[in-house]
Amino acid sequence: MKTVCMILVLFVFLAFSPFSFAQSEEEGFVQSMTIKTGIGFDYFTQRVDVFSKDTEGVWEEEDDDSPLKSAFLTLSVEFGLQGGFTFTPIIGYSVSDYDILVYRKLPFSVELDVGRIKGYLVGGELKKRLFSVRDFEIGASGQIMYYAGVKQQWSVPGLNVEGTVEGKPRWLRGTIGPYVVYTGYDYIYPYLGISYTTLWGKFDLDQKILDLTGEEEKKISGKGNLVLSPGVIFELTEALSVKGEASIFPREGGIDFGIVVRVLYSF
Amino acid sequence: MLKKKNAGLLLMIILILITAVSFQYPRREWNKEFAHRLFPKEFPPLNDGLLNSSKGVRYAPDQVLLKFKPSVSSQSVRTALAAYKTEKMKRIPKINVYQVRLPEDVTVEEMIYVMSQNPDIEYAEPNYKASITTNDTYFRHQYALRNTGQEIPVPGSPRGSERADIKATPAWGETKGDPDVLIAVIDTGIDFEHPDIQDKIFSTGRDFVNDDDDATDDEGHGTFVAGIAAASTNNNEGIAGVAWNCKILPIKTMDEDGYGWDYDIAAGIQWAVEKGAHVVNLSLGVAAYSQVLEDAVRYAFENGIVVVASAGNDDDFVYSPAAYDDYCLAVAATDYNDERIYWSNPGPEVDVAAPGVDVISLVPTWYFGPGSIPYGFGDGTSASAPHVAGLAALIKSIKPWLTPGEIMNIIRYSADDVNSADYPGNDDFIGYGRINMEKALVPIKITTSDRR
Repeated sequence: MKTVCMILVLFVFLAFSPFSFAQSEEEGFVQSMTIKTGIGFDYFTQRVDVFSKDTEGVWEEEDDDSPLKSAFLTLSVEFGLQGGFTFTPIIGYSVSDYDILVYRKLPFSVELDVGRIKGYLVGGELKKRLFSVRDFEIGASGQIMYYAGVKQQWSVPGLNVEGTVEGKPRWLRGTIGPYVVYTGYDYIYPYLGISYTTLWGKFDLDQKILDLTGEEEKKISGKGNLVLSPGVIFELTEALSVKGEASIFPREGGIDFGIVVRVLYSF
Repeated sequence: MLKKKNAGLLLMIILILITAVSFQYPRREWNKEFAHRLFPKEFPPLNDGLLNSSKGVRYAPDQVLLKFKPSVSSQSVRTALAAYKTEKMKRIPKINVYQVRLPEDVTVEEMIYVMSQNPDIEYAEPNYKASITTNDTYFRHQYALRNTGQEIPVPGSPRGSERADIKATPAWGETKGDPDVLIAVIDTGIDFEHPDIQDKIFSTGRDFVNDDDDATDDEGHGTFVAGIAAASTNNNEGIAGVAWNCKILPIKTMDEDGYGWDYDIAAGIQWAVEKGAHVVNLSLGVAAYSQVLEDAVRYAFENGIVVVASAGNDDDFVYSPAAYDDYCLAVAATDYNDERIYWSNPGPEVDVAAPGVDVISLVPTWYFGPGSIPYGFGDGTSASAPHVAGLAALIKSIKPWLTPGEIMNIIRYSADDVNSADYPGNDDFIGYGRINMEKALVPIKITTSDRR
């Protein structure tokens, strides 16, 4: 798996390197800038390893893993640049569900099972078309997404005094790898991407029960680093297109998945 | 529009796309087949029909545990769980067991029946509520640790109220204590020959009455108190101690008549600090203010030790050293019905309460004479305090970084306000309430409904 990931990273590095710029220039490919705005819906579920920090600052992996489920609505603007580059800033609204997290370093241990936590999303996508072979276009893409949950507060039930815990989840996901698009049809462009992906996150919790206070840091890390992304782009009109993509995250002991639906409008 | 030569290629790409979303299709078929069987008319009764009854084995009324066969894919598992309208709560990956929550209108029995018909499911069973029980012979008499309303074998044969206890058994599921955590019992000493505690004694301790290093009990009180806090547990004999694995550091400051001097008690506290004790139990009291005792208790507190003391048994004010509120937990007594007993000393210094009526514990092997069993029932806030000391030791065991003040507050805030009908909140009789080990130790579940 590590070798595959290394190859993917190397491939993308070379793809975005000055060498590939030069190649495009040599081919005399010049493209004027295009702009597409998009609205989309993304969903993924990915199992994550959970780590707690002990009092000596060492991160300890917990026995159980947890499924992170996240759904988001996004707004994007896709800039088609010279040299086959496409850059797409993305912002959005998201809800993430961490399933159950147990905090045992707080004065009162708590089991947090609070469902979806809303938050905001910001990210971007960079694509580079590399070369074409017959009706296939080969390229590389990278995406980074950052979710910042809104700070939430919950009561600690069952005690004889008022108490709260407060936390703000966040995660960062990066994906990078090559893709191949079949361009042999009019209006329909199926594609397949294979990428290296990584996800990190934190969900720290502060506890306050009268004068009793504590804080626990919790770190999460996505299981599995490979993602297969088959998808298709339908050009409905000259200006309007729809993109649908499935993501499959194979990992030890199972498969996680995700979907992306995006409607794009060209200017 | 499409070129013929590319038809095969297109087909291949479409297949890839379809695969991503459609390999659950056969499962959907299978679920249709199952739908009509979701609510059969009769189900084999579980638990002799005593669903979630206290008389039978209890299980979660809205949950089932199930295991799919190894060949079943994760996607199929998700599809099956969705078809049953169950909500996945957790999974134990190493044995691949799922804990699922049932829809409101389906019983555990119905769901298990339906799941048992599914060829992909290896087994499905209720999520039984287990609790740590011990094989100690007289554990059944320890209503203080687990009250089932059992008869207490003392004159009058009283029966207590179910769950009027300190919830020891669920708490032991979280921790049974760290053997390195020491509870100093400053009292009349300990019977080193007692089979139900001899393995739990850290050292021969210190005798401040006779000025030697042999804290042998010549009265009986210290052995009784130490047994409540940390008797050998799950050893097929006698009783269970609150702090199952923690050890006792015996310090004798009280003589054969049960009396001792402030100076010796203060010296005993200082010795406990020097020897690395984490908790000090003082089931003793003086009906007068003592600056020496206050200084000693403060010294222990400032050195990271939780000090627990009994409030007194004279329906009077809270005695010293329990009265030194900033540095010490003052413990009142409740009975097997969770009611404060009339002789338990009240006062604003009372922090919490614990059972102190008809409590069974160890008596020295010589106490009742040859041939007698070395156990007996006793009353008093002296019996209440070691329950709290045991809890403090368990908290220290799993959260050694907490300060004495934090541990004291955990014990206070997690107590059950069992007299709230008459005295809501912190009151002079039982303070914050009767201690609750489960709330103090087991993670408290916070759900969406707790959002503020």
